[in-house]
Amino acid sequence: MTKKIVINPVTRISGFMEIEAIIENNKIIDAKTEGLLFRGFEKMLNGRHPFDAVYFTQRICGICSTAHSMASTLALEDVMNIIPTQQGRYLRDIIHGCEFLQNHLRHFFQYTIPDYVRLPENYPLFETNHNDFRLPKEKNDRIVKHYFEALDLSRNAHQMLAVLGGKVPHNHGVFIGGITTQATTDKIIKIKSILSSIHEFIVEKMIPDVYTIAEYYVDYYHNGCGYGNLLSYGCFNDYKDLGTLYVNPLVYSDGNIRPFNADRITEEIEYSWYSDKKQSIKPLEAIPEENMDKPDAYSWVKAPRYEDIPFETGPLARQWLSGQYRNGISTMDRTIARVLEVKKISEVMTTLLDNLIPNTSVQQEYKVPDTAEGAGLIDTTRGALGHWLKIENSVISFYQIITPSSWNISTRSSNILKGTAEKALIGTAIQDTENPVELGRIIRSFDPCISCATHVYSHGKRIKTIKVVP
Amino acid sequence: MNKPENFCHGYETKLKTSSGLIDKVRDQLKIGAISKPNLVWLELTGCSGNIISLLDGANPDFSYLIKEMVNMVYNNSLMAAEGEKAVQHLMDILDTDFILAAEGAVATKNNGLYNVIGRYKGEAITALKAVQMLGEKAAHVIAIGACATHGGVSAARPNPAECVSVQSVLKRKVIKLPGCPCHPDWFLGTLAHILLYGEPELDNRDRPLLFYSTTIHDRCPRRSYFDKGIFAAKLGDKACMFKLGCRGPVTRIDCPVRQWNEYVNWPIEDDTPCIGCAQFGFPDQMEPFISYDTTREVKP
Repeated sequence: MTKKIVINPVTRISGFMEIEAIIENNKIIDAKTEGLLFRGFEKMLNGRHPFDAVYFTQRICGICSTAHSMASTLALEDVMNIIPTQQGRYLRDIIHGCEFLQNHLRHFFQYTIPDYVRLPENYPLFETNHNDFRLPKEKNDRIVKHYFEALDLSRNAHQMLAVLGGKVPHNHGVFIGGITTQATTDKIIKIKSILSSIHEFIVEKMIPDVYTIAEYYVDYYHNGCGYGNLLSYGCFNDYKDLGTLYVNPLVYSDGNIRPFNADRITEEIEYSWYSDKKQSIKPLEAIPEENMDKPDAYSWVKAPRYEDIPFETGPLARQWLSGQYRNGISTMDRTIARVLEVKKISEVMTTLLDNLIPNTSVQQEYKVPDTAEGAGLIDTTRGALGHWLKIENSVISFYQIITPSSWNISTRSSNILKGTAEKALIGTAIQDTENPVELGRIIRSFDPCISCATHVYSHGKRIKTIKVVP
Repeated sequence: MNKPENFCHGYETKLKTSSGLIDKVRDQLKIGAISKPNLVWLELTGCSGNIISLLDGANPDFSYLIKEMVNMVYNNSLMAAEGEKAVQHLMDILDTDFILAAEGAVATKNNGLYNVIGRYKGEAITALKAVQMLGEKAAHVIAIGACATHGGVSAARPNPAECVSVQSVLKRKVIKLPGCPCHPDWFLGTLAHILLYGEPELDNRDRPLLFYSTTIHDRCPRRSYFDKGIFAAKLGDKACMFKLGCRGPVTRIDCPVRQWNEYVNWPIEDDTPCIGCAQFGFPDQMEPFISYDTTREVKP
């Protein structure tokens, strides 16, 4: 018997998305991830002052705003031929590290835990759809306690970020050259103190909690596998004096790890609501025009590809490529890798803090070139993030953004290869088709960020009247 | 009593307004003088950064909000339920006493189909429909953050999704808390006031005077540099950033005395100009955010 399941909203992600799955004999035989996102940032950025990109692009995402400040800053440094000092890099990478901690703490406790742990149901917010809660009461209650404790710790991660970044979400600190302000000793010790309490929580509570869940949900080591192709642009890497503290730009497929080459990135649009002369576009080639009259298209998300095939990006990819964790590629491995990464990042931050020279000023007066182009690629909270831009007459004339969630939640491509998350859903056994908790668990393991999704389906049919004004 | 000599009453009151109100709410709830209303927090076209900012709130914090102040019945980022069961929460509270908090702008393109927040009995629920359905019936409507109060970055030119403010689609009073994002205290303090005393005093653009009465420039710790004509030439300089494009003179908000993220810092202290994120007109009327054109004349 064939049944179609639609989940919308997929809650506990950033933004909105719909999952559509076809189920036959309690197994998913086909799936679509409809991350129907269109805010048009690439269009909004045209004509703006290049420096404004650093603060403007942060508004793409409230939970990973710092990620966009990093990528846009790197892109501006690339177009302006500015090489930041090592102190400048340490400072902004510390800010970036704080965002990792905040994001992963919230993603694990606030977004993932409610799938596996029964939260107190006297709160309307914690009412659930399903009954697949397997932890014994004592263990369940302990993790519930940590759910509330984690709220304090993730908040403190943002406090730590604001010490150097001014405020967050949407920090002011990350900028060309490193950061805007200087790290004085009182600031450094404040960050170290907060970091130490977060590190303790990670080691004593967060890591044991994820392994407790893994023990009772062993089947999740066998679903949500995807293709097993992994990619990272690198982060906390290639410091002049410290070398690579986390992960270099690498890819993994067919059992081999190779160096990453940015020239091999393309975006396909055959199943997305865009048109261009080509179906496969390099990042600096074009921003395809919106076109909702394509019969087979079903998403605003494009299909980023590396050497024409889909790749997974994010904590599991980084942990695998850096050799930290190689147990497997699955829903549970992805969830564990994210938790282990928090510990790794906190250790990297400690090293960076120990190498700071207090009161170092890394700012100067910058001049915008008349004409230039460049790119900023970096691995961030959710995975590989790229900003590409062109400047003409000293203003932005072209801006391209490929987010980690585009990689993970992509549509199928012209060679009919499904997106990584779609592939991860297919083949999954569904226990109760009325309450298919498995789909959300698999999708959330990718930590999708689909801020502002735009749905244009009604009763499963595409609405023909929709047009997008360029 | 035995206050230190440098104690400033105005400063102290300002910092503690929210926590003072919240303590009072807790006491009143305990003695049963007031009952916990339902709170719906909708995310619309935006970055969902205001709910993250709410989680960054301390004393009161998020736990306190859901334990002691309100029954939070709906939020896309945090609720355990998903799919139609989640949307059912919205349908079930329509005839109860509830407060609507909305972040993000309302996409109006094609009857709102550019922003669908869920599906109910097979039908797409647009953000436009949800705001109108809930906004008509809510006891109070609070627009949180720049996108909700005036379109914000979601409506930045050329406004591809034809985004508008929450007020634009509702014929009723909407309390407006501009900011990108909204500071958790601005929301929690406003909510506490509603629970205790009803709607707070608003200015002629519906912003609570408690938070939005004074410009950043008026209370800026670098104001003396401005008065003496000492200006920063680049980011990182410890002087007035007016010539770098600071929007403090036109931005009415209490950042200089409140500060951010558990009161630890704020953009000026981070040696960057205010970009006017808490003022109507952000971002288009506030750009460029940073410029090194220090040749402009200072007009007092």
